[in-house]
Amino acid sequence: MQSAALGGSEPGCDLRPAARQAWFAVGLGLGLALALLWGGLAWAGRPTTVRLLMPAPFADATAELVESFNREHRGLRIAVTRGPFETESVSDLAISSLLLGDSPYDLLLMDVTWTAKYAAAGWLLPLDDWLGPEPLAPLVAGARAGNIIDGNLWRVPMVADMGLMYWRTDLMAAPPRTPTELVAISERLQRQGKVRWGYVWQGRQYEGLSCVFLEMLRGFGGNWESSGEGLGTPAATKAASWLRQLIVKGISPAAVANFAEPEALQSFEAGEAAFMRNWPYAWQELQGPSSRVAGKVGVTMMVAEVGEPPAATQGSWGLSVLAGSRHPAEAVQVLQALTGEASQRLLVQRWGYSPTLTALFDDPALVAERPLLPILQNALESVALRPLNPGYAQLSDILQRQLSSVITGELEPALAMERAGRGSQLLLEASGRGSEQ
Amino acid sequence: MSLLLMAPALLLLLAVFLWPMLDYAWLSLQAQTVFTGLKPVPVGLANWERLLGDGRFWQDAAQTLRFAVVSVGLELLLGLAIALLLHQSWRGRGLVRSLSLLPWALPTTVMALGWRWILNDPNGPINGVMQSLGLPSLPFLASTQLAWLAVVLADTWKTTPFVALLLLAGLQMIPTDLYEAFALEGGRPWQGLRRITLPLLRPYVLIALIFRLAQALGVFDLVAVLTGGGPASSTETLALYAYLNAMRFLDFGYSATVMLGMFVLLLASALLLVLAQQRWRGARP
Repeated sequence: MQSAALGGSEPGCDLRPAARQAWFAVGLGLGLALALLWGGLAWAGRPTTVRLLMPAPFADATAELVESFNREHRGLRIAVTRGPFETESVSDLAISSLLLGDSPYDLLLMDVTWTAKYAAAGWLLPLDDWLGPEPLAPLVAGARAGNIIDGNLWRVPMVADMGLMYWRTDLMAAPPRTPTELVAISERLQRQGKVRWGYVWQGRQYEGLSCVFLEMLRGFGGNWESSGEGLGTPAATKAASWLRQLIVKGISPAAVANFAEPEALQSFEAGEAAFMRNWPYAWQELQGPSSRVAGKVGVTMMVAEVGEPPAATQGSWGLSVLAGSRHPAEAVQVLQALTGEASQRLLVQRWGYSPTLTALFDDPALVAERPLLPILQNALESVALRPLNPGYAQLSDILQRQLSSVITGELEPALAMERAGRGSQLLLEASGRGSEQ
Repeated sequence: MSLLLMAPALLLLLAVFLWPMLDYAWLSLQAQTVFTGLKPVPVGLANWERLLGDGRFWQDAAQTLRFAVVSVGLELLLGLAIALLLHQSWRGRGLVRSLSLLPWALPTTVMALGWRWILNDPNGPINGVMQSLGLPSLPFLASTQLAWLAVVLADTWKTTPFVALLLLAGLQMIPTDLYEAFALEGGRPWQGLRRITLPLLRPYVLIALIFRLAQALGVFDLVAVLTGGGPASSTETLALYAYLNAMRFLDFGYSATVMLGMFVLLLASALLLVLAQQRWRGARP
């Protein structure tokens, strides 16, 4: 490199090459330092993102809450992943990511039946040390159950959910209380041509069938114990054969063996049926513009034999922090915000989701606005829990398979329930959670 | 030298095929379940013992086999008929050829959701027609016999075009002078089908058969979406059962065992097929 080549003789460029290089180095160094400083500041000022996976309906319902949370918190941002609609598909998505080891989510909105499984798999963060003493105390009793397993708190419920019976107030003065009454009223209304079907429910081979069955099992004096036992009992046979008889007698359509919640709702909404078993969300839908029964619907507890208390299967969705979260403190903060009173109030006012906090059930203004609340509270007092066993998915699958055989007429109720009882017994023994515990 | 040239392909095969198989074989000797906190605990042959005594595995195996044989059989017959038709020259053939591929081009999930709606009781279009004719609506997906038929029907609808396409390619490879010579010797057209077309089409039939059987024996997405395996597990296939064990029950050891059991059955069917093909070849000089 020669100075001539650098044009040293030109005016304004009289610096010698060495000095030029030095100045260049200083400039570069300063520039780099400034860039680093600026980048570092930007990095420090960047908000922590808490990622949350929810089923699509809840992502929609909480969109407003999430938006206002993000506005109010400068250093913290919630990013919601809108999961699938079906409950089990959301679990599949979460499990796929958890199995790969490095889950992209900090928080998961969980169905009550997943809790034991996820906790046993080591995927959840125990919340006991994060939430202070008695975090579940503000909740109504029925919503507290199913969150503490083996002495640890794994989940805080955001909305409650329970199985309810919807009935047509324009067709009868009072809803039936017993299974026999339900059949009698249905047959009368069908004979009179008032309705095509008596009772629509969820009979597909899926989790909803277990929920329907648990209510009837309780109604006939049995129980699905928290250990997973109680399926091979006479009460179970009575419940299963009552469900089968609904189809045999033409009170429920044969198609009910493929009904989930939307199909039952569709039929009831069209005015085809006198009774429907569904969750609280259906109330909002039934008052909508597409409903032919708006203003003609009552809600009550499921039927039960005389002397047996009616039961409502506990659903409920709650938030859990994943064990792999890199921001557990922030995740807990988001959990508290989304399960808090303001959030639950908006969810019931705007979307009709049942709250879990006693304060909201006791708020007269809210009750005046949402007359369903006392009924929901009543149902929450007699909720029936599905077994809190890590192997619940398999226990329920055993039950669903046998029940589906009964409903489609493939198997006699007594034989099917005996098989369900034996199948669950084998599973419990193999897992070391048999009756000796 | 030849070994060296083959090495990349061999390595790839080992990596994507043998390694997972060995991993599964190892997993099938472990209890890795939600009850062990997802940690593997050696249990010897316990999973295999359970498999042999698991009525559900064998029922699913029978259901999977029945589905594969019936649907692939239907697809071959229909595919051959369609291929013969599309091989003739007539006006608008090009358009029909493209259109007939449509079902094959649809993603299975979309197609299965479509069928779920078409077969809906009582609101699907088929039951709409039934009711307008004064007939009772049919609970297609709520009856064990009809649900099985529905799965076969949907699969046949979707994959017949694939078979037809393969066979059409085969038909176009047959030189036309063979037929001309046959006609000169006084052969009739329908004899030509039996004497020339079918024997020369044999390799293509075999390829279609192997492709389709392997797919049908491992069927998952169609069943998962259309019926979810129900009612009464009557449409549950082995792939669905393995998936339930892994993703829903978190029982990975047993799921691997079911997958390997399924692999053995698949291998046995492929072997049978090859043997049958060799006898077929031997029977005709």
